[in-house]
Amino acid sequence: MKCEEVVEAIPLYLYGEVSPATEEAIEHHVAGCAACAKEFKLRKAIHSALDAHEVSVPAGLLQECRGELSRREMTPRRGWLHDFLHDGFNLRIPLGAMALIALGYFAARVTGPATDGPNQASLENAAVSSAIRAIETEGSGNIRISLDEIHRREVTGRLDDGNIQRLLLEAARQESNPGVRVESMGVLKECAQSSPVRAALLNAAAHDPDAGVRLKALEGLKAFAGDPAVRQTLAQVLLHDDNPHVRIETIDVLTSQRDDAMVGILQDVFQKEDNHYVRNKVRNALEGMHATLGTF
Amino acid sequence: MASQADEATLIRAAQRGDGEAFEALVRAYDQNVLRIAMNLLRSPEDARDIYQEAFLRVYKNLHAFRFDCSFHTWLYRIVTNICLDHLRKRKVRREEPTVVETPDGLLDRMEQVAQTGPAADPERHAWNRQLQERISSALEDLSPRERMVFELRHYQGLRLRHIGEILGTSEEAAKNCLFRATQKMRTILGEFV
Repeated sequence: MKCEEVVEAIPLYLYGEVSPATEEAIEHHVAGCAACAKEFKLRKAIHSALDAHEVSVPAGLLQECRGELSRREMTPRRGWLHDFLHDGFNLRIPLGAMALIALGYFAARVTGPATDGPNQASLENAAVSSAIRAIETEGSGNIRISLDEIHRREVTGRLDDGNIQRLLLEAARQESNPGVRVESMGVLKECAQSSPVRAALLNAAAHDPDAGVRLKALEGLKAFAGDPAVRQTLAQVLLHDDNPHVRIETIDVLTSQRDDAMVGILQDVFQKEDNHYVRNKVRNALEGMHATLGTF
Repeated sequence: MASQADEATLIRAAQRGDGEAFEALVRAYDQNVLRIAMNLLRSPEDARDIYQEAFLRVYKNLHAFRFDCSFHTWLYRIVTNICLDHLRKRKVRREEPTVVETPDGLLDRMEQVAQTGPAADPERHAWNRQLQERISSALEDLSPRERMVFELRHYQGLRLRHIGEILGTSEEAAKNCLFRATQKMRTILGEFV
């Protein structure tokens, strides 16, 4: 490669956006050309200076944003009805009266005259969800429907209440709803000194399919960065998690404690990591530990 | 991140009006959305506006999401469009000053959001401050599109191919944009670093 081609390619090289062949050619050229080596060093210094310019999100802003959003439109299917009830005051009474008349008319057509007999179907839909399991038509003309019902209950208590903790741990394992798992982690991290809770946080950090849940679990494990079991699990997370934000958080937790045993793992990550930001984090951590980037 | 199958289930549920599924989708991505907005606009107020606007747009348009691309790409398209609008408006009004007057006197908003850590060495602190100012000025010098490509590549770590997809352009065009951005920064920062 010629000098001008190398100089042009250096920025993309630093982002890992050139082919392996070009990468090799640049390295080879820079090793033998003082002018290009100087330019390379300068570009690298600019690159690192820009890393330090990243602004972190102020504490509490995320929670504020979430709160504000949930107060606005998080309740689905509210749109026209909500607008009508709040803004359509002038039309509300006459339209409401018409709606009631129409409802009565259609209800009478669909249900027929009311009966007080023992076989009348009765379903209260408040806080109940149900799944139909079987439908049979009986000789008398009745229809027999078998259904499973799940009733919603509310339980209130403090975090040190064993039942509350048990339910939170249950929620942390609830596979179907990552939102519930995130909430659960957010609460449980306040009592991570308890072994079952810490085990749940470790399990979530290593295995939860949702990155939001894993990040929340990592927050809870920060205070236990010195615990060997925590470090061992987090080292695995760093090596295998597919989400760069999770890997970044994991590096922060792991490097919050001086531990020379981390050097090998960080070097390993540095070699195979393709996310520039994570690589940079690892490089800074290794430099902070006065360790080399490669194992050589 | 949820597996693609899990995410598709969540999206379909949210499309049917399931509020919890929508919330789960928001929570899977909102930290990154806020991080992009904060880093690009360097103002908690603007970042908050972008967060709200982005997720309201997602909420209103989710029914039209047809799985033609990943949800991540679709969401980032929305977010980058809103951020680009903000950046363009800022260019038009020639940048807000970072120093604003408050009842307690002059306040540098960059100080509020910028670097943490004590400045044990005043000389080093002064140099760092100058460097940060230079970088801010270099970033302001970029066109909104260059700034966006730079943000997504340098700070968010996205590949140029993905950035092209988000911005509705080719990988080559994103590469050229990144190249121009780095050249401009080389010119401004070259003698200082």
